[in-house]
Amino acid sequence: MTLAILCRRAFSDLRQNFCAQLITTMVVSLSILIFAFFTLLYFNLQHFVDRFGAELGLVVFLSEDTPKDRIPSLYQKLTGLSEVEKVTYISSEEAFGRLEKFLKDEKEVLEGVDPRFLPPSFEIQVNRAMFQLKRIKQLAGEINKWPEVSKVQFGQEWIDRLYIFSGLVRTIVAITGLLLLFTAAFVVTNTIKLTVYARQEELKIIRLVGATNIFIQGPFLVEAFLQGLMGSSLALGVVFACFRFFQGIEAKSELLRGVNICFIPWQYTVAIIASSVLLCVLGTALAMRRSLRL
Amino acid sequence: MISIESSIILLKDVSKKYSTDNVVFSGIDLEIEKGEFVFLTGPSGAGKSTMLRILFCAERPTSGEVWVDGVTLSSLSNAQVPYLRRKIGVIFQDFKLLSNYTIFDNVALSLEVIGLGKKQAEQRVMQMLEGVGLAGKTSHYPLQLSGGEQQRVAIARAVVNRPSIILADEPTGNLDLQRTEEVIMLMEELNARGATIIFATHDDRLFENTHRRVIRLFNGRIRI
Ligand SMILES: Nc1ncnc2c1ncn2[C@@H]1O[C@H](COP(=O)(O)OP(=O)(O)OP(=O)(O)O)[C@@H](O)[C@H]1O
Ligand SMILES: [Mg+2]
Repeated sequence: MTLAILCRRAFSDLRQNFCAQLITTMVVSLSILIFAFFTLLYFNLQHFVDRFGAELGLVVFLSEDTPKDRIPSLYQKLTGLSEVEKVTYISSEEAFGRLEKFLKDEKEVLEGVDPRFLPPSFEIQVNRAMFQLKRIKQLAGEINKWPEVSKVQFGQEWIDRLYIFSGLVRTIVAITGLLLLFTAAFVVTNTIKLTVYARQEELKIIRLVGATNIFIQGPFLVEAFLQGLMGSSLALGVVFACFRFFQGIEAKSELLRGVNICFIPWQYTVAIIASSVLLCVLGTALAMRRSLRL
Repeated sequence: MISIESSIILLKDVSKKYSTDNVVFSGIDLEIEKGEFVFLTGPSGAGKSTMLRILFCAERPTSGEVWVDGVTLSSLSNAQVPYLRRKIGVIFQDFKLLSNYTIFDNVALSLEVIGLGKKQAEQRVMQMLEGVGLAGKTSHYPLQLSGGEQQRVAIARAVVNRPSIILADEPTGNLDLQRTEEVIMLMEELNARGATIIFATHDDRLFENTHRRVIRLFNGRIRI
């Protein structure tokens, strides 16, 4: 009975104040939209750096005088390491073959050169889940101490720079996102406050006639819930559409292939929607407190 | 002697001041019996509306204690106030109609807040509006009505849920003689059915020829 009245009131209220409701929903939507774009940017940056770093891997060069029969045991030793995902042995001849391939038409320059002049090496793919720059560095250091190893190479400088840069960008994005979040919260609560204040006289009268606070607040809270839900869903929908659009471009473009952009993780999507709903409902409850005294 | 049992409204040493130089009244003692019909009179600004506002908790007294239907108002929490108000029908001096609600919805609101279904409410609201001569304007909005018509909507809203106490603040202020008669008759009828009525007015003619008690507010005191 009471629930039916509440729903009926919420519905007739929605119809009567459709414009104000729509504006509030749009404000919620726009605020969340801007924030969601930043979140998307943040996660893609993180995703990209992690992937890129992991793909670089290590190359372990052996001293030229390493006896052939040491290779299997070294291979065993390397695959035994927990950070290592995959090890490939590249013999001197194979390395030479690659070089030839690389030079294509100019391979004449290699004529007369001993095919074993390149040192044999192991190419190591690092376990992606384990990837951490510090650990890779450590690993490289340890392997370097093995007597058979002449040099361990990885894009250290590259990664270092990338990390410092991306760390900086990530901090900036995170701070901007946080500021945007506050701005969104501020704008949304104030828009709600304005719509509530505009109807304060009405609320006071309804209370004077003997309505309980639940009766008065109910429709507003239902509306706030819907605003928060629809506003944030709409915003995330737009962001998702843009994401799909970029994915399409990425698939067609040679240059961008492999960038592999990702969407905001679903846990965060849910969190954004939930926070938006919470913000709207709490904002409404707070804004209404004033009209519900006496 | 003041006794809580038989009286439905009881004021003890009540005063109300908005600031040190704006004292509305002080030291008011008043007792109203269950089923009584009293007039509350006094010049403009004497504090009639203020006294009524204290009775339905729209205002708290500065000092003193008020009992309404056995409830000590000072002990009433904000959450309990609505339940007291459902026993009290208030006809506001300034009507306090909701301008974005139709006449029907304005009156139905009193029943809606106590959780009455639409079907039950509809019949009673229509009856009530017929009673005050507004059956033909149920789907109008307050601003489309004359002042007197609005006042009658306010009356209908106040009494449609059959409250046991009716606080009427100048309910005939905008009405012609015939309508005034009708409103007085309506109040008499409600009183005959058991409602306690406080009728605030500064129009002496309304109670010249009655045997009803008249409470006169003057200079912040009650004069018998
Ligand atoms: N909210 C308020 N703030 C300050 N003073 C107030 C307030 N409400 C009422 N007053 C003062 O209280 C006094 C009594 O006002 P009240 O409305 O009770 O008079 P009244 O007897 O109903 O007059 P009227 O016959 O004109 O309706 C007035 O002098 C007014 O200035
Ligand atoms: Mg008054």
